[in-house]
Amino acid sequence: MTAHRNQVPSDRHIIVVGLGFGDEGKGATVDSLCAAGGAAAVIRFNGGAQAAHNVVADGVHHTFAQFGSGTLAGVPTYLSDRMLVEPIALAAEADELERKGVRNALSLVTVHPDALLTTPIHVAANRTREDLRGTGRHGSCGLGIGETTWYDLAWQVRARPGDVVQNLTSPSIADEPALRVRDCRDPAVLQRKLDALQQFYAPLLLRGGHGAPSIDAMASLYREFAAAVRIAGDDYLTSLAQGGRLIFEGAQGVLLDEWRGFHPYTTWSTTTPANARALLTRVGQPAGYVLGVLRSYQTRHGAGPLPSEFSAAVGLLPERHNGTGAYQGGWRVGHLDPILLRYAIEACEGIDGLAITHLDRRGSGRFVMGYQYRGHRVSKLPLGAAQDLRHQSRLTGVLCDSTTVLQDLPQQADQFAAQIGDLLGAPVVLVSDGPDRKNRT
Amino acid sequence: MGNGAWSDNTYRAASTFRRARGIDDFTYTSTLFSLPQAKWAASPALDPFGVGMRESRDSAEHPNSTPIAVLFDVTGSMGAVPRIMQAKLGQLHGLLQREGYVQDPQIMFGGIGDADTDRVPLQIGQFESDNRMDEQLRTIFLEGNGGGQKSESYELATYFIARHTVTDAWEKRGRKGYLFIVGDEMNKPVLTAAKLRQVLGEPARGQVDVAALYQEVQRRWDTYFILPNQSSYFTDRQVREHWRALLGERLLLLDDPAAVCELIALTIGLNEGTVDLTGGLDDLRRIGSGHGKAVRKALAGVGTGRRMIAPFDPDGDRRR
Repeated sequence: MTAHRNQVPSDRHIIVVGLGFGDEGKGATVDSLCAAGGAAAVIRFNGGAQAAHNVVADGVHHTFAQFGSGTLAGVPTYLSDRMLVEPIALAAEADELERKGVRNALSLVTVHPDALLTTPIHVAANRTREDLRGTGRHGSCGLGIGETTWYDLAWQVRARPGDVVQNLTSPSIADEPALRVRDCRDPAVLQRKLDALQQFYAPLLLRGGHGAPSIDAMASLYREFAAAVRIAGDDYLTSLAQGGRLIFEGAQGVLLDEWRGFHPYTTWSTTTPANARALLTRVGQPAGYVLGVLRSYQTRHGAGPLPSEFSAAVGLLPERHNGTGAYQGGWRVGHLDPILLRYAIEACEGIDGLAITHLDRRGSGRFVMGYQYRGHRVSKLPLGAAQDLRHQSRLTGVLCDSTTVLQDLPQQADQFAAQIGDLLGAPVVLVSDGPDRKNRT
Repeated sequence: MGNGAWSDNTYRAASTFRRARGIDDFTYTSTLFSLPQAKWAASPALDPFGVGMRESRDSAEHPNSTPIAVLFDVTGSMGAVPRIMQAKLGQLHGLLQREGYVQDPQIMFGGIGDADTDRVPLQIGQFESDNRMDEQLRTIFLEGNGGGQKSESYELATYFIARHTVTDAWEKRGRKGYLFIVGDEMNKPVLTAAKLRQVLGEPARGQVDVAALYQEVQRRWDTYFILPNQSSYFTDRQVREHWRALLGERLLLLDDPAAVCELIALTIGLNEGTVDLTGGLDDLRRIGSGHGKAVRKALAGVGTGRRMIAPFDPDGDRRR
């Protein structure tokens, strides 16, 4: 690679976000930053157990869901209060990591007491709602992530049966605060909140075939979780920052952001760097360096707009780690789309550097110059006002109705990367030309 | 995904978290968990089936044996208590013996489950004076199941202590032993002949009245129920009233389950009159236990000093 390329600064906290619809290579990027040394912890700041961040290090492959992608590099994980924690999946992931040679995996994890808890009841509710939508599915992962966030919102407005909160109908009266990690330490509160959650969702769950384990089994499990996993708040984050730099690992892509994504094909999570920046400010740390990750082509899982979709490329670009999820839908690819990517960068309120992955498979070798939308040429997606879902729906309409005008990219990898940097107006600081850590420079 | 798979995952996850906390010390349990449920059984050393008497006897080394039976509810979350106990066994023994709280303690451990639903509803060890008690403790199978009707088969364990133990302390000196039951639910309403046949192998006929059974056991055993704050039943009024009716002030409410060893030691010391509460709490501080507060609170309602010495009557325990 070129000697002149800009580098990731070694003395700043790094915020890693994906500039697409997910699957950009955030996990592998975090792993390589951690393997370089100096990282005190990987911090998760959005989403939950639905993340699927693939890391291949020295021949060991793991798909990270709740553990941070620095685990194979020996870097501990901190699940902040903006993360949704699912203990059953966390235990399963710990088991899997131990089989792969990570010792005492759970001792590497610390959880913020205020993090929301995703339970099998949320998962059952999520799947029941998706089933009832039939063909109008939203491309949910079916892991209860949105439902977990939603219940908290429903409680905040004390939703009553039939009330519509953020597009979802409340099955009952939401009169018990959402379950949080701290509640796992208090048997009486835990029992009360689980009982309330089960009653709250009972009318919805009656309409589908999804159930949950007994309250006793869940309560017992969550107590075991609280006894086995370190639970610690902001002070702990501060002490981590004193021991080295923090790597913030974003989940999902900026284009799926709950407010900046293309409504309604979004996630119930803030996928921009906003949460990570706020966390740093809260614990008195300097601003982080925002690293935007993208593939050399566009990808998308499940329903929603992908204007440069190029279905012939699916076969040409075999995916090792991405399949079709029962709730998530199929795997899709498209030509590199700088219009979407520039929009993502704007939604991030700017980024500091770019990491380009999959340079070994450069897609179609073409990129989107502009969209043709009802006879007009579109080369920029305007950023709307904050939390304006009507604007986001209009963008969805434009994207779904556009055809693309393409142009060739340079054949040679160096020039290819350099041109992407020019198209996106940010320095390229990391590239990868293969799945393994050794392919990253 | 149906409930079955979820329940499996939930169960497996709980076991992962337990392992992370060192449950692997309980190798008997880990081994059984890797077998199909049909093969789960108490270790032969702890199986009460067909046992005539568990004996607590004096020896040249321990001429004044004091029998202490500690029986744990091993259902659900209560399975944490034996692990806490195991980690602190040395401390308990040290307090009892080195501080002279009681003479020649002989400790027996046992596990209590639910005879309606569990594969292994009762496990009863031997009275031991040395580190064999640790081995015995680790051999208890922590089945972790239980039925969820707010009751476990405590009465079955109490029956065993009342009818299947013989102690030199009582026979030679007319002194009671100590029985501690650690749990969070109520007794089954009745102890049926079918359960006695099934679990103990007794040719029993007719059922045993639970209240009468607790009267009977207290004639030879100072009996305490420790209710640790380990589940939602800690605050359950019905559970508390149930035990108060049977044992009065000897229902001990323990805020912090991690203090169970210290609580047992001080309860014995106070009852023996060998230490007062202030002195006992000083002892705890001195050995570096941070649980004085929880112990003091648990013992707040218990009368201190001067144990009851029953009139010597070697046949007293045979009254039926």
